[in-house]
Amino acid sequence: MQIQVKCSCGAEKCPEWAIIELQGVVEVQPSFQHSLQNLQIGLLCRPSSQENYTFTVGYHELTGSKVALKKPMVVLKKIKYMDVATSSSSCVELDVVGVIRHKILFKTRPTALISGPQPTVKEKINAAGA
Amino acid sequence: MMEQPHSCCKGAEMLLNLQPTSSVSIQYHPFFGPHDDLVLLELDEKLLSDVLYQRVTLRGQPDEDAVLCTKSKTYLVKFVGTSNSVFLIPPADYSTSHESGGENYNQQVPTASVIKVAPGNMELVEVAPRLDKLKSILSENLYSSDEASTAMGDLYKWDDLINKVQASDDELKAGLQALSAVEIDGYWRIVDEKYMDVILRMLLHNSVLNDWSLDSLVEDKVVSVLESDGFPRKLVYHCLNVYGSRVEEAMDGGVWRLDARRVCVHFARGILREGKRKMESFMEEWLRMIPEEIQPSFDLLEGEVLTEKLGVETWVRALSVSSLPTTPADRFSILFKERAKWEWKDLEPYIRDLNVPGLSSEALLLKYTRRSQPSIDAEPVFSAR
Repeated sequence: MQIQVKCSCGAEKCPEWAIIELQGVVEVQPSFQHSLQNLQIGLLCRPSSQENYTFTVGYHELTGSKVALKKPMVVLKKIKYMDVATSSSSCVELDVVGVIRHKILFKTRPTALISGPQPTVKEKINAAGA
Repeated sequence: MMEQPHSCCKGAEMLLNLQPTSSVSIQYHPFFGPHDDLVLLELDEKLLSDVLYQRVTLRGQPDEDAVLCTKSKTYLVKFVGTSNSVFLIPPADYSTSHESGGENYNQQVPTASVIKVAPGNMELVEVAPRLDKLKSILSENLYSSDEASTAMGDLYKWDDLINKVQASDDELKAGLQALSAVEIDGYWRIVDEKYMDVILRMLLHNSVLNDWSLDSLVEDKVVSVLESDGFPRKLVYHCLNVYGSRVEEAMDGGVWRLDARRVCVHFARGILREGKRKMESFMEEWLRMIPEEIQPSFDLLEGEVLTEKLGVETWVRALSVSSLPTTPADRFSILFKERAKWEWKDLEPYIRDLNVPGLSSEALLLKYTRRSQPSIDAEPVFSAR
């Protein structure tokens, strides 16, 4: 079986995607579980001209930085379709839909902000870490 | 008509170009979900252009681990999980196959939306091509002299081999060459050794009859004579390819030189096919079969035969490196079953061809053998770990 890896957007036009990575898990309040779409997770700020960032989730503040990935990643989309010729089997293709070269990485434990609005989304520290 | 959102205010572009003293709201995308059909693959920079320019494929049967192949190399695809939260953010204009809608086009606040939380990513490990399968499937149906009546079971064209064998195109070609396979009527076949023997002997017989030099066989003459003796053209060419090489310097092309080693190995294998022989008996028969023009020497048989002293007698038996598995663990296992202890000079021809990306032959020995030295001036000896 051979699965072709395509890049339908074209190699030169392959868009860049981004990653925000943090240690821990973001939890959504139970009442919002089923209507996540468009819900704000947090606010990401770049305070100065350096590549340092803060990410405020609920009443936690994380600090991190934008780093270049040691090795780039591609985002692949699996596409299943029925092969008209051999109507019995379904075919799979992989399409490169994006390239990732940078991520905004938060490695530190969050600090708690004393005052702030009741969060609909909160950050929970995963003790095990990465 | 919907107002188009400013792409600079949204998506991955926004995030990656965030200006000093600016902020962006990170949100769940309108189509946030598990999106199991979206996967991340980490690659070396040098592979990136092969992927983007559509020069790679995934190969393998459903029950095998997937491998990714470029034109010349094979990589195992492995999943590496993470316990971090990896928020994946597409560019602003990314849409899934869903209908567009649910997006709030009136947003003035800069936003970047998370489409998925990735559980990890795939990564690639370069591996040797899995060519053992090639040999076994082509050996199911050897091409023999009574071809017309046989040919039951499966025959394989190039495209069939690509589907079944986990190797890149270049590695598959090299594998076919190493097996002395030949393409007949579009199907790749290994020719039965006995049939090759018949063709070779006919070629040598005609060389004597017609006074042909084995160093400069004229292709056209050889082919026409053997064809009139009843051999298919394709197989005559194949015979020249298997036992000889083209003489590049020849002016009018189509001149071949028989290769001493390949011819000598062929006859040795024939003699030993029925089992081991005493050295004197073997040498006597072997020297008799080898054409006059060729200078035989026992060294030519390294990697093809083993000699053993049993009492006062020296015996010879066949063990061809080409019959051994290509994966190191299996190769060493068989070698140590054949003989418990090996000196380096005997072992080397049997592991010379092992190909493990990233492992030198010293490293292979360290990994798979135990080295011992009976005394200071004795040769070191290798045995199983």
